[in-house]
Amino acid sequence: MKELEGLLSILRRLKQSPDHEVRLLLLGLDNAGKTTLLKQLAAEDISHITPTQGFNIKSVQASGFKLNVWDIGGQRKIRPYWRSYFDNTDVLIYVIDSSDRKRLDETSLELADLLEEEKLAGVPLLIFANKQDLMTASPASVLAESLNLHTIRDRMWQVQACSALTAEGVQVDATNTACKLTKLETEWLSVWQQIS
Amino acid sequence: MGCFYSKKSKRKSGEKEEHTSTGETSNAVPLGNNTDEAPKQYSWDKREKVDLSHYTLKELKDVTVGRLPGTLNGEQFVIQECENCNIFVLDHSATITIDDCVNCRIVLGPVKGSVFFRDCKDIKCVVACQQFRTRDCQKMDVFLCCATQPIIESSTGMKFGCFQYFYPELAFHFKDAGLSIFNNNWSNIHDFTPVSGENNWSLLPEASSVLDFVPTPDPESDFKSVRISADPSRSIVPLTKGGRRKESEESCLFLFFAGEYTTANARKLIDEAVAKGFVLIQTKEVLMRPEDVKRVFQNSEDDLVEWITKGPVVALELNGDGVVEACRNIANEVFSATKVFVSDNKNTSTRDVDNFFNFADMQMGF
Repeated sequence: MKELEGLLSILRRLKQSPDHEVRLLLLGLDNAGKTTLLKQLAAEDISHITPTQGFNIKSVQASGFKLNVWDIGGQRKIRPYWRSYFDNTDVLIYVIDSSDRKRLDETSLELADLLEEEKLAGVPLLIFANKQDLMTASPASVLAESLNLHTIRDRMWQVQACSALTAEGVQVDATNTACKLTKLETEWLSVWQQIS
Repeated sequence: MGCFYSKKSKRKSGEKEEHTSTGETSNAVPLGNNTDEAPKQYSWDKREKVDLSHYTLKELKDVTVGRLPGTLNGEQFVIQECENCNIFVLDHSATITIDDCVNCRIVLGPVKGSVFFRDCKDIKCVVACQQFRTRDCQKMDVFLCCATQPIIESSTGMKFGCFQYFYPELAFHFKDAGLSIFNNNWSNIHDFTPVSGENNWSLLPEASSVLDFVPTPDPESDFKSVRISADPSRSIVPLTKGGRRKESEESCLFLFFAGEYTTANARKLIDEAVAKGFVLIQTKEVLMRPEDVKRVFQNSEDDLVEWITKGPVVALELNGDGVVEACRNIANEVFSATKVFVSDNKNTSTRDVDNFFNFADMQMGF
């Protein structure tokens, strides 16, 4: 079970070196909401976000983990540079603008290409079906089907409906500014507890 | 339902995992097995079903269409496959995409998020937004108010000018969209696909009049009730020279601190200065922290620190020979009861301007 192996090996590494930093890679088409998501995870102001020209990186403390989150610009012209950031990725977070019907095929193709990348083999995939706050947003279930996610056999994956703008589906704990990655992290913790 | 999980990871407990270095038994809790947890109810699950056509303009030709104030109320709007249309979206919205449109004249009221033009051609528009994006577009004339750096990709013949527009509700729509009329990066465009030896974008001639590009709506149309004006002096967004070449070496930094009349005061200053023949280069509305005061204002007047905590400051750069003296006179005569900062003299004023606007750019960039 390669996909479970992948998760457990991550956790064993974390258990062995508690200071291990988890590397999260945020990809997706331009205008998907990656940078807004990044800023929300870091509990920062999201009212003045500029289109990403290169990349943004933030370190976030979350329940004993240090998350290094890399947010890479998604314009068509600069997608060839995504591969420069693949190495040592612990989790791939793919962000989709659920309301952009016209580009659903395009984002589907880009995701499919990513899943063929050797350097991302077996890396757990978290898909954020973002912009659920908008009128024309496709529900996560519809997106999951359009993306043919059920054909993914080589890694763990999860789809999460969210609105990065309102932080719904992206649990940002304002009281202590620690951030949670919804259910995925909760599962990781329970797995970790089991193998500890 | 919000979450979908891969089911492949289910394992029977007690099974030995073959590839572990320690030979540990895995008791992993499989993903996708959360039957004891009720599906989360997000706000979008509880939303009433709406008629999406109210938020869409699609496949229209040779008509004047749009939305009147109060009809969108901050929701998303979609425009696609329109030809030879005059489109007036006179309300604030969350985000707008404009796809496959040809030969249209478009006004977009303040957009809280992004405005994204794709595969459009021969467009003349007036737009206010937080982000401005294009891809695969040709020949667009854009009168723009954009809170961040506008970007274009695979687009040619793109021309930009400063937003100039007025209708009675527009000022409220800016507030509703969370946009400041003083934060307008209309003239410095980032091109993701530059071509050496060519320019995919340029600035519109300075004296360009909006009505020559986007005429007011037909008096017989639904929009006859909206008192639109494209007169530059009535524009909700102050006209700035932006990146155009400055005519004088002398600039002055004029700063208003947060208060009830900050916007009105800033407009008054602009009117006074422009009447005297000076030029407004750029403006910014930004929060300052105490540590910024010393860095930005060289002769740090300590009492400024208490003023910057009341809210964002509004800063203006005015330009022209003699502008510093003129600004100091205006400050004394017109704003004697208001807390302001004005450059001290023309030898230090350029540094004031650079210090402040460099700080503001850093603050507002990521």
